[in-house]
Amino acid sequence: MIAVAIDEAADTIRNYIRNDTDGITYPVLMDPDHLLTELYAISNVPTVLLVDENDMIVQPNWNAYSTNTFKDFHGIDADAQLDAIRRWVRDGDTMIPVDDVAGSVADLTEEEERGKLHFRLATSLRNAGDEEGAERNFARACELAPHDWTIRRASMPLRGGDPFGPEFFDAGSPYHGINHPGTS
Amino acid sequence: MDAADIAVLETPDEVPADSLVDLIGWTLKPEGLCRDERCVIVPDSSALRAGDGVSLAAVAGLLDRPVALDVDAGLVAIGAERQQRRGALQDRRAPDFSLPDLDGTWHALSDHRSKKKLLVAFSSW
Repeated sequence: MIAVAIDEAADTIRNYIRNDTDGITYPVLMDPDHLLTELYAISNVPTVLLVDENDMIVQPNWNAYSTNTFKDFHGIDADAQLDAIRRWVRDGDTMIPVDDVAGSVADLTEEEERGKLHFRLATSLRNAGDEEGAERNFARACELAPHDWTIRRASMPLRGGDPFGPEFFDAGSPYHGINHPGTS
Repeated sequence: MDAADIAVLETPDEVPADSLVDLIGWTLKPEGLCRDERCVIVPDSSALRAGDGVSLAAVAGLLDRPVALDVDAGLVAIGAERQQRRGALQDRRAPDFSLPDLDGTWHALSDHRSKKKLLVAFSSW
């Protein structure tokens, strides 16, 4: 198992690991530049991919959760997903026939590609202390790739917003109308 | 592919041709744009020209890499070769990548060849 944080908040990720009671034995990698999302056309996380012994993808991007913490929110049962992963590891059973994997995830459009690059420009400018330049590029990125949550949602904490606040749960969000987990 | 390959460059779009190697690792030669053993044919070198030098955006286009500019900030972002993502989406070939862990140790997907891999992308946001 390899975990990749599409994130620049190294301290937050470090705390996750510190607070994990099971003890993490796998690599946890940091990807603040979102290299992985560009290479694999990932537009939301968490997502899980299964890659076989020959570095061939047998399960492409797929919204998957390792716990049921947010089950009420997205309605996805982690247990069934974990069982499916175990079956693949043990018996080689794949969730979808490998012949159907190719082409099952759409390529990024040119706009979406450029959106990811403007996100990179924005974080680079933000790290250099140029808030105005960062905001200009965050705005452009969101405009180019409005459905890419690794841009739109990921940029919220970097622009003074709250990815767990009304910005995400209300305006234009596919989650609009769904209660925040923990609220009624 | 690692983060250095997609690092944001502090440069205008127009650069001296001989600076390409330092900026993106490719050199403009009579036989084409070359990096190590690989050369990409340049069908029309005038299409790369900008002022007295070359346009990074045009070079990126020839290498089939997306590009975004921030002229005011003097920054150029060049993405990964599209072929890598197409290989993943169309041919199931997992693009190799190398990223650091929290202690700064680099790990590549290819370090785990001959093993089954569960790749999890997650975030705090």
